[in-house]
Amino acid sequence: MTVALIRNKELGPGSPAAWPIGTLRYLVAAIFTGFCLFPFYVIVTTALKTETAIFAWPPVWNFKPTLQSFYNALFVFGGRSAVFYLINSMVISVVSTFLAVVLGAMAAYAFARFSFAGKGHLAFWILSTRFAPPVAFIVPIYLMVQKVGLLDSHIALILIYTAMNLSLVIWILRGFFAEIPIEIEEAALVDGYSRLQIFWRVAVPLVRPGIVSTAILSAIFSWNEFLYAMVLTQSRAATLPVYLAGFSNSMGLAWGEYMAVGTMAVLPILVFTFAVQKHLVRGLTFGAVK
Amino acid sequence: MKLAVEKRRATWVLIAPALAILLALNLFPIVYALYISAHYWMLARPQPPRFVALSNYKELFFDERFRNAVLVSLKFVALAVGIELLLGFGLAFVFNARLRGIATLRKLTLLPSLVMPLVVGLVWFYMFNENFGIVNWIWVMLGGTRVPFLTQGTLALLSIVATDVWQWTPFVMLVFYAALQALPEYVYEAARIDGLSGAQIFFRVTLPLLRPAILIVLIIRAVDALRSLELVFMMTKGGPAGDTEVLPWYLYTTGFLSLDLGYAAAMAVLMLALVTVLSQLFVRQLESREAAS
Repeated sequence: MTVALIRNKELGPGSPAAWPIGTLRYLVAAIFTGFCLFPFYVIVTTALKTETAIFAWPPVWNFKPTLQSFYNALFVFGGRSAVFYLINSMVISVVSTFLAVVLGAMAAYAFARFSFAGKGHLAFWILSTRFAPPVAFIVPIYLMVQKVGLLDSHIALILIYTAMNLSLVIWILRGFFAEIPIEIEEAALVDGYSRLQIFWRVAVPLVRPGIVSTAILSAIFSWNEFLYAMVLTQSRAATLPVYLAGFSNSMGLAWGEYMAVGTMAVLPILVFTFAVQKHLVRGLTFGAVK
Repeated sequence: MKLAVEKRRATWVLIAPALAILLALNLFPIVYALYISAHYWMLARPQPPRFVALSNYKELFFDERFRNAVLVSLKFVALAVGIELLLGFGLAFVFNARLRGIATLRKLTLLPSLVMPLVVGLVWFYMFNENFGIVNWIWVMLGGTRVPFLTQGTLALLSIVATDVWQWTPFVMLVFYAALQALPEYVYEAARIDGLSGAQIFFRVTLPLLRPAILIVLIIRAVDALRSLELVFMMTKGGPAGDTEVLPWYLYTTGFLSLDLGYAAAMAVLMLALVTVLSQLFVRQLESREAAS
């Protein structure tokens, strides 16, 4: 009987713990969690160490934290400070996310509520754009951006990131819109609202949690994007990943400064990741796994 | 009648902007890449591109470096995704229990999933350092001698695999965990009543029910691993001697260091063909789900 219980727990959905399997679970889970978190500890502590401590062997565990690396990275380090890149990253993520969410929500609503010729094919084509490898698009995109004279501009990255995030927004929000009881919208129709008014005044407020989650995910993807930023910008519109890519030119010496910028690049994401954790799996698998 | 017209108009007003952006920045670049790949097209040269039909593709066929890049990419994807799926699968069962505190641990593990890949490359580059890296320190503590993790052929690739495994195993685990949570209890009760043993339940009930989740996560991870170049950029730059030169890295350097856009576009087209096959498998999977629901 005990054996059967333990087996069932192994194989079926969660059931109460039994010694010693429970302890073993804790041990494995804790070790794995530690493995997941350890590099974050390294990023932050390296950013807070003095240069001597950074290159020490064996590694130094007890040290007096200093903000020198942060100060250097933000205000002193090589010609252009990281503040400039931070601002570019923020502007580009926020504007591209805004566009992706607004345009994506509109399309998502149409996919959820109206029927039209070729709807299924169109929806699945949009889904497949999620798999577009930036590296395969970078050559044509570079020439296109060059031709319209938008190299090193915010607007080029904003539009590219909007396109990159549209599939995510449309697919996630389509699910959210479909879950609204249709009667609410029908009632509004009887009250004389137009279709577009219903979308904006009735449906959008009802899917606010979905909009917040997809917005956070889109913002993170824009914030993290490296290749387009690296190739399409140089100085004026360069984002944080472009700054970090400069590490290879620092002769492998400026660890503290780059880890400080790395900390600033990662900390906001950690906060937001927690905020969307409920919808994370759904978002990253496009609703395939809820 | 008026209502129908209004509905059609609303549909197009809602869809057109998103569609226009996707056509301009997804469909058009694919067509343009095909066009570029049929030309000898050097960046920053005054001469206009010259039409060469399929000769870029012919050249790729005999290019040792291209062959190497494809092989390295396949090795990287197979190893990284293989390990992530096996580990993630096992760990999903570990976390799938009603134990106090285990949900908190599970939520903490999702932190690597959305971290900027370039920072992941930076910190693991630091940890794998031969002279002061923490991985080496642990290795020496365990009684080994210092290892040049990133400058020795096979090891360099394995180090990048390990880094990718760090970032993506939690995501794979969470997908399997969610899938396990969604399994209906009554199926297990039925299996128990039928007298199936634990192993039989696993192979005949759990595994078949998890098949869709396995396929979905496999395809997502395979495409994402195939297209990523941040870790290579940060940790090895394709070295030593091309041992970590994955296809995206070779494509990027061909286009923007050698400035041979035509040749890079030919590689891009082949890569797109491969990714299209994989994404169609994904689409099929979701389509059959929609049809079922």
